[in-house]
Amino acid sequence: MSISSRFKVYDFSENIFVIEIKNKNEYPDQVQAHLSLSEHLRSGYYWVEVAAGEKSIFVTYNCLEISALKALEIIYNQLEEFIYKEESDQNLELVIPVYYSEEFGLDIQDVAATHNLSMQEIAHLHSQPTYKVKMIGFTPGFAYIGDLPKELFMSRLSKPRVNLLAGSVGIAGNRTCVYPLGGPGGWRIIGRTPLTLFHKDKKNPFGILPGINIRFKPMTKQEYENFKQDNPL
Amino acid sequence: MSIEVIFSGLQTTIQDLGRKGWKHMGVPESGAADKFSLKLANFLLNKKLNSSVLESSLNGPILKFLKPMNFVVTGADMQPKINKTALKMNSPSKAQINDVLSLSHSSAGCRSYIAFSEDLISESFLESTSTYLPAKLGGVEGLPLQTGAIIETKSCELNTQNSQKIDLNLISPFTNKWILRVMEGPEFYSLRSESRANIFASSYTVSNDSSRMGNRLDGTRMELFDSKHMVTAPVHLGTIQCPQNGLPIILGCDSQTLGGYPRILQIAEVDFPMIGQLRPRDKVSFVRVSIEEARDKLKQLELIHPF
Repeated sequence: MSISSRFKVYDFSENIFVIEIKNKNEYPDQVQAHLSLSEHLRSGYYWVEVAAGEKSIFVTYNCLEISALKALEIIYNQLEEFIYKEESDQNLELVIPVYYSEEFGLDIQDVAATHNLSMQEIAHLHSQPTYKVKMIGFTPGFAYIGDLPKELFMSRLSKPRVNLLAGSVGIAGNRTCVYPLGGPGGWRIIGRTPLTLFHKDKKNPFGILPGINIRFKPMTKQEYENFKQDNPL
Repeated sequence: MSIEVIFSGLQTTIQDLGRKGWKHMGVPESGAADKFSLKLANFLLNKKLNSSVLESSLNGPILKFLKPMNFVVTGADMQPKINKTALKMNSPSKAQINDVLSLSHSSAGCRSYIAFSEDLISESFLESTSTYLPAKLGGVEGLPLQTGAIIETKSCELNTQNSQKIDLNLISPFTNKWILRVMEGPEFYSLRSESRANIFASSYTVSNDSSRMGNRLDGTRMELFDSKHMVTAPVHLGTIQCPQNGLPIILGCDSQTLGGYPRILQIAEVDFPMIGQLRPRDKVSFVRVSIEEARDKLKQLELIHPF
């Protein structure tokens, strides 16, 4: 298939192109495919920024340095070279221990009531799958992780909380997340991890990267406390 | 000990040109909300354009110099004074030990910038000292300056060979009525046809709910087609989103990197500095330009200014 039948490329602004994968049947998971394509585009080091949303990618360049025409030419060459392998990052896996509890899981009772589940069942369902990072954005290091089992689907809070603690584990729709930083958030919180996923002084401050696999592992309160003690901030 | 903060002002933070290239990790560009005024301040002191400066919103700080140094104030005119003497904007001055620089409030424009001939010592995150308040990063512990604090400074190399001049008359004056040049956004056609015309005929008021993250606007409500589910898509500085309530939001330099509302318009980069100067109750209207015109304006600006 030709590039123009596989991808849609258009101007967003004087400095930004949008790229969308056109053919819905070409990739089983559209979000995953866009993330993978954005990684491929970024790896060329041609661009100021490459950022992926669910079904589109921003490619930012400097129109004072290269012409839009030249930028487009590079994009088409890069698209030509793009090969998507669903399994590419399979070996990179991060295990996130979580203390699922009422103590830290501000919404775990709501989830239990909505789906007629016990807390143990929620922990079990949430920690069963091997997830993928589908998208990163919103705030620094915030990862949209999926797909969540259908039995746990919840809407977001109608009014976001103002001050969640770092490490809070949330669910919303078919996604789950860990808040790497404290701050506002509207996802339903079911527990907390003692793992630090944001190190502001490191060269790469982010603990979760695009495309990696994520597993959650239930831990007891005692294990949570021990972990905290063994890994002081 | 270098500069004492006698009074912090409403919100004074350390800013530089920001951190580009990290949008894919959810990190906004940040930096000065009005990058033109920041560059101007550093240029006038012969400093590197990316040097850290103080950005002050609406009501400025009172600072006492504990070391002699040069400084300059750019951006919104908050009637700066050194001791009791009024100072000219965009004009470098020399401060002696114990001199007090006081900024009051502006009547046009939202943010003033104070640059110093010494470097401000501050925290760096991803190679930028820009204070990003939502995650407490950069600046001084990621916070606004606190009354009573001391800002440490250190001497730095100045580019005294700089022979370029800037024509200050070419700087557009601040106002309370802004006309912003915009391009149609990808979801422009989420607006019903009447609203697509109205948005260019209306004048909006900047609401009090405005910050470095964005400016909410009050005024004619836009009518949108039912967008059952708009997928999460990248946004940028100057993206104008329109939620279902029909009131547009202009995204600022600290905005989130992804958004779920229709992106109806995008402000041209040449007008980005104005976004940082919008004050609550200012009037804003939009005029449409093509992407080619937006590019041309940017190129013309580069020829006019030496930075």
